[in-house]
Amino acid sequence: MQGYTERIQEAARRLLVDKQVDVVIGFRKGTVPLMNEPFLAKNVDQVRQLYWDGNCGMNLANYLPKRTDRIGIVAKGCDSRNIVIHLLEYQIKREQLYILGAPCRGMIDRRRILASLEGKDPSSAEEKDGVIKVVGSDFEVTLDRQEYLQENCSICIHRNPVIFDELLGEPVPEQQNVDRYPDVNQVEAMSPEQRWVYFENLTKTCIRCYACRNACPLCFCPTCFVDESRPQWIGKSIDPTDTRTFHFLRAYHVAGRCTDCGSCERSCPVGIKMRQFTKKMEKDIKELYGYEAGVIADQRPPLDTYRPDDPQQFIK
Amino acid sequence: MEPGRLHFSWISSAEATKFAETARAVVKMVKAVGPSQHFLKKQAEVV
Amino acid sequence: MTEIYIAKDKLPATIGKLMSEHRVYGPVFEGQYHEFVELKAGDEIDLAYQNTRLSPKGLFHPHSEKMCQFSLAKDDPEAGIMKEAPKDYSPRIILGIRPCDAKAFRLDDANFDTPTIKDPWWTQRRATTTLVGLGCNQPCRTCFCTSVGTGPFDPSGLDALLTDVGDGFMLQAVTDKGKRLLSSMSDGEPVPPAVGEEAAALKQSAEAQLGTQFEPKAIAEKDMLELFNASFWDEVQFSCINCGTCTFLCPTCWCFDIQDEVYEAQGDRIRIWDSCMFPLFTLHGSGHNPRNLKLQRVRQRFMHKLKYYQDKYQDGVACVGCGRCVKFCPVNIDIREVARLMSATCVCPA
Repeated sequence: MQGYTERIQEAARRLLVDKQVDVVIGFRKGTVPLMNEPFLAKNVDQVRQLYWDGNCGMNLANYLPKRTDRIGIVAKGCDSRNIVIHLLEYQIKREQLYILGAPCRGMIDRRRILASLEGKDPSSAEEKDGVIKVVGSDFEVTLDRQEYLQENCSICIHRNPVIFDELLGEPVPEQQNVDRYPDVNQVEAMSPEQRWVYFENLTKTCIRCYACRNACPLCFCPTCFVDESRPQWIGKSIDPTDTRTFHFLRAYHVAGRCTDCGSCERSCPVGIKMRQFTKKMEKDIKELYGYEAGVIADQRPPLDTYRPDDPQQFIK
Repeated sequence: MEPGRLHFSWISSAEATKFAETARAVVKMVKAVGPSQHFLKKQAEVV
Repeated sequence: MTEIYIAKDKLPATIGKLMSEHRVYGPVFEGQYHEFVELKAGDEIDLAYQNTRLSPKGLFHPHSEKMCQFSLAKDDPEAGIMKEAPKDYSPRIILGIRPCDAKAFRLDDANFDTPTIKDPWWTQRRATTTLVGLGCNQPCRTCFCTSVGTGPFDPSGLDALLTDVGDGFMLQAVTDKGKRLLSSMSDGEPVPPAVGEEAAALKQSAEAQLGTQFEPKAIAEKDMLELFNASFWDEVQFSCINCGTCTFLCPTCWCFDIQDEVYEAQGDRIRIWDSCMFPLFTLHGSGHNPRNLKLQRVRQRFMHKLKYYQDKYQDGVACVGCGRCVKFCPVNIDIREVARLMSATCVCPA
């Protein structure tokens, strides 16, 4: 993955010089350890800022809707699936895009790394050969990359981009025999009362900042349901019922479209395990319709098409 | 939400009998579950 | 009495005694981060913490608060009359707040406590709260308080200041409120001279560590329109996802929305945090939105904090360098970088 920086810069330079694209969307190195900032390179001089490492967890497809220019975009497996969904949902046109596919071995989990430092303040974190070295003014720790992958990355089964114009590296082997739903199964085994308490606790720290919604490439409604006022569907305060409604309803709105990119969980400032809502949706869609979001470029999502053999044993 | 509170049925306007039977059955099943304790908001629970 | 020494093993008893006479709030680790909570018997306060995730502005200006309530019942003689919601304004001590967060309250006063308009909820809470701060021996890498007119041991927003000198704390009174608090504490010892020296050394080393990361004065001296029309905003705004993280975690952000929630025969007027980052923030009743582009909103936030506030109040920037926005912005937009861009010698369009 380290080699990607050079490949991205080379490709971006070429695309901009040849005028195949107007801009290139990638990342540039962050100002704090373990963070990178999504970056738009508009000309060849800016290309040198493009950068890639294991902290490129945010989904760049989030920046595509409503753009009218020609865009070169770096896309991991999950990002590419979101691009497919954007194409299916008419948020961007295929001819506008030049996709630089980035086969991905997983992004690292900043939150868990910082938590493991127990309050110590890191000055830098470098990744090399499967190991993350975190350094501070009075400490140095070495962490195994595999142990500190973002949770969605550790169970990822689509690490290679499903749609691309050029690959930045050799495809990586997909993980096999991955159980994607141990946490969903755990909740399904709970009684309704236990489940209620579980979800109550999950959302009790929410401050309604909407970082989860805004980081999500699928949330592009001109007016989100929480912002509707005529009529107003849910209150805007941190009342627990309103907050729960927001989270549950957002999960339903992304059902069948969510690619488990993890941007929601990554962006939450108070560390809510956002994916607990969406993973159940993903499991149900998989079981009921045999569908995984964005994997096949011309397959319409199940919740937007009617098929006579759609499962309907719940309709009496 | 507890099982037994949400029901789906597909009834055409020509199926009046089915509508009446389904309505009675659903009312009976939901009453058996009892008043909902969750997802209720009468007043915002704020400071 | 203006200063006392409290040994660390005596601290729990000291806090216990304060709790018997006041409501005491301290930083407690809950879940994934520290938060200021009202201490109950058995609560463990952690004065070795860096800082709370959410700023303590929530203790004076909570995220969601009932301002007023009213009844709509047909037979109620007081139906339709808006009444102030009852609150608890009994005296409080906030123990262990960081000097930056306390200074932020002074900046917030410019909004909530003016000669012509006084927010009753804010001002009453401020009047009945004693702020006992804790100096930062080890500032974080994301802190930049010294660049924005405050510092790791800045007493200006505090009533009293604690310094952790290893085996104990030196507690110094800053204001009359602080002096009254110290006088009421019978279990303090006189401060040994070595402790005083140690405290001064800690202050110096913390300030040196922070250094000066940018010059707000350079921003104040720039022409406002030149900054407003600068070309760098386009680059700054791209990654922003317009969530409310920076504004909600920030101790100097005060914007709010008011919502009326009515159910059957009773209603509440609720104040909730709002964010200039939200697209609806400036949506007019006519449907016009002067800041409907992301660039306009991102620019607004930094101009407000670093330029407009300086121009309007001549009291420095509306930022205390706590670093929460830097640490928790999901896309790593760094206010220090933006400030550097704003204070650079030439901001003319490229």
